[in-house]
Amino acid sequence: MVRHLPTLSIAMSVTSLALLVTQPATAETVTLGIGTQDTTTNTVTAGVVIRQLHLLEKYLPKDGKYANIKFELEWQNFTSGPPVTNAMMANKLQIGMMGDYPLIVNGFTFESNPESKSRLMGIAAYSLSGSGNGLVVHKDSSYYDLADLKGKLVSVPFGSAAHGMVLKAMQDRGYASDFFQLVSQSPEVGSTNLQEKKIDAHADFVPFAELLPFRGFARKIFDGVETNLPTFHGIVVRTDFAEKYPEVVVAYFKALIAANQWLRDDPKLAAEKIQEWTGINKEVVYIFLGPSGNMTTDPTVKPALIDAATTDVKVLQNLGRMKEFDPKKWVDDSYIRKAYAEMKLDYDAQLASTKNYEISGEDAFCKKPIADPRKAGEVWVDDAGIMPFSSAACTLGAYADYKAKGKKINVAYVFDTTRGIKLFADQAFFAVGNGDVAPFLLKKDAEAYAAKISGKVLGFDDAVKAAVGGGKT
Amino acid sequence: MPATALAEAGSAPAVVTPPTAPPSFGTLALRWYRLNRAGLRATAIGVISLLAFLLVWHLLTTYRVVFLVRFTNVPSPLAVYASFSKAIHDPKFLMHILLSCRRIFIGFSLAAIVGVPLGLIMGRFKLVHEIIFPVAEVLRPIPAIAWVPMAIMLWPTNEQSIVFITFLGSFFPILVNTLHGMSLVDPVLVRAAQCLGARERSIFREVYFPASLPHIFTGLTVGMGVAWVSLIAAEMISGQYGIGYFTWEAYSLVQYADIALGMIAIGVLGLGSSVLIRGAGRLVMPWSAK
Repeated sequence: MVRHLPTLSIAMSVTSLALLVTQPATAETVTLGIGTQDTTTNTVTAGVVIRQLHLLEKYLPKDGKYANIKFELEWQNFTSGPPVTNAMMANKLQIGMMGDYPLIVNGFTFESNPESKSRLMGIAAYSLSGSGNGLVVHKDSSYYDLADLKGKLVSVPFGSAAHGMVLKAMQDRGYASDFFQLVSQSPEVGSTNLQEKKIDAHADFVPFAELLPFRGFARKIFDGVETNLPTFHGIVVRTDFAEKYPEVVVAYFKALIAANQWLRDDPKLAAEKIQEWTGINKEVVYIFLGPSGNMTTDPTVKPALIDAATTDVKVLQNLGRMKEFDPKKWVDDSYIRKAYAEMKLDYDAQLASTKNYEISGEDAFCKKPIADPRKAGEVWVDDAGIMPFSSAACTLGAYADYKAKGKKINVAYVFDTTRGIKLFADQAFFAVGNGDVAPFLLKKDAEAYAAKISGKVLGFDDAVKAAVGGGKT
Repeated sequence: MPATALAEAGSAPAVVTPPTAPPSFGTLALRWYRLNRAGLRATAIGVISLLAFLLVWHLLTTYRVVFLVRFTNVPSPLAVYASFSKAIHDPKFLMHILLSCRRIFIGFSLAAIVGVPLGLIMGRFKLVHEIIFPVAEVLRPIPAIAWVPMAIMLWPTNEQSIVFITFLGSFFPILVNTLHGMSLVDPVLVRAAQCLGARERSIFREVYFPASLPHIFTGLTVGMGVAWVSLIAAEMISGQYGIGYFTWEAYSLVQYADIALGMIAIGVLGLGSSVLIRGAGRLVMPWSAK
């Protein structure tokens, strides 16, 4: 070791000399750390997409005071929000993204930081109805409703958006705090435990409530829409960085707008690319981010989301997890407004809109245009692409038709008849009768509807047969 | 020191009969002090050094010192004390500690029961060594946290998975140190015993085992340390109780003072258990005291 030292130090001084020579004396390198959550599908347009498409490099300012500053981008990927907050507190990251509860904890934790605060400056994706979070059980279990889980072992990552959903659901239904045996498990631990049937249910954030059923061992029995409390993933920025380099933060939001546009231009390609970059199955990515998906990618900071955050703060306070915190003072939309203005887009129009992009086009099976996207369906045929259909019955009919022709089908989507959320068709319950095929997430909803139309509840395979037979059971 | 005590006894009244009155409290205290001077000195210095540590920590965090390392957001000792005084009134905190101690105790005991005999046998019989050593060497560097998913799948209950991870943590240091102890046994002693007609069993009992005991105890001490090190990873599975889980949950909610409290609790418990093992070592091996 000692003998190597001189060689090493000579090598090092040569390298540093070379660095000195090649760079102009005034050049300054600033490291910008961005903390992403690649596997949390609804943050991808704020993180991995910008990174992979080099969108931030495209918008970074290069003149004026930035002529001599070289930005070095350091992307760090995490599976949950708190480590991002930790690294932001330590000034290793300046920009971070996470779900609503971790965001609030982030803002609150920064209150005591003397160097900098954090501000919520933009939104990655949201669901006004609270979809995205969900609770799954093992597919072989006999649980179909939260009430079935009385006294059972339910795990959820504490301090996550999903934890908030569970608490809100318990509050809505008037369950006592010991109604479930609630324990804290991270997604990776909870998923394995559920697969091994060591817990009765696992509640989690995007994408696990869809991913685990898709992987074949779980069934979703509760969706965040039932709490009707908005959920979102947002972007927080250190104020000291934003004040020093405001144009860089604006450039980041321009990149975010461009990433969202890229996603909507070709959702199928985007889903395939995101699968390649993050390892989350494209069919799962598409259920969230595709047209009429369960998440809306929209970077504007909507008042409804901030109101939801205020409710979340109360939940955290009741748990004794935090003291006074005002989400309204924590929002700073000036940078994203600037990004919109410089890209000649109308921020206020977007702020007022809560529209997602929807399924459209011509139903090639039933031969009619798609009128109501939230009653429609899609079939992902392996080589032909994603085909839209005007109704659940047409979707199932087309599915049977493709099957008969020997095509390989990746997945089929339908929409919950009353809640309008996108479902995997093979996981749904279908109320079938009188020529009507109505898909539902929950068995009890399907049973109620079936009683109304005097039909009956079928699983996917039987529903496909029924659809081929013209909706008769 | 016993010499001074004797000298003092010698300077007592020249009557040969033992003193009827018991020695005064002052004399007793003085005698006790003389006997334990070295120990007292170590304790006093230890306490002072701990206090100095606390003081430095307090100053670094109060003035938020930034010098290579940054104390800007590190919680101060007072903040940690505040969460400690809150936690101590919470029966849950006691539960965390008790459950963790139980898990460590079971995991560590199993590791000792399996690791020590296995190490002795591997040290004595080449074939066993050749079979087991490569497997052990492959498994040894795998960090506890990487075992979490496997542990969940391997064992029917979570409690068993947790114990399994603490077991793994302490098993390998115990095994490796026992092996090391066996390899250092003086072959002359073994041959001498053989010449004296000792059979395999007696050689094992009278030569190998006592000779490798110091290393076995080193292994036990290190193993106990590593068992506590793997506790956070192990208790990520628990989701409810355990001081490792407490620390992990504080991390997920970004509560720095509670994280520090958890760290200190693990440190103190680790210290306590090492002291116990060293005490046991002294009892078993009086010849190697100190």
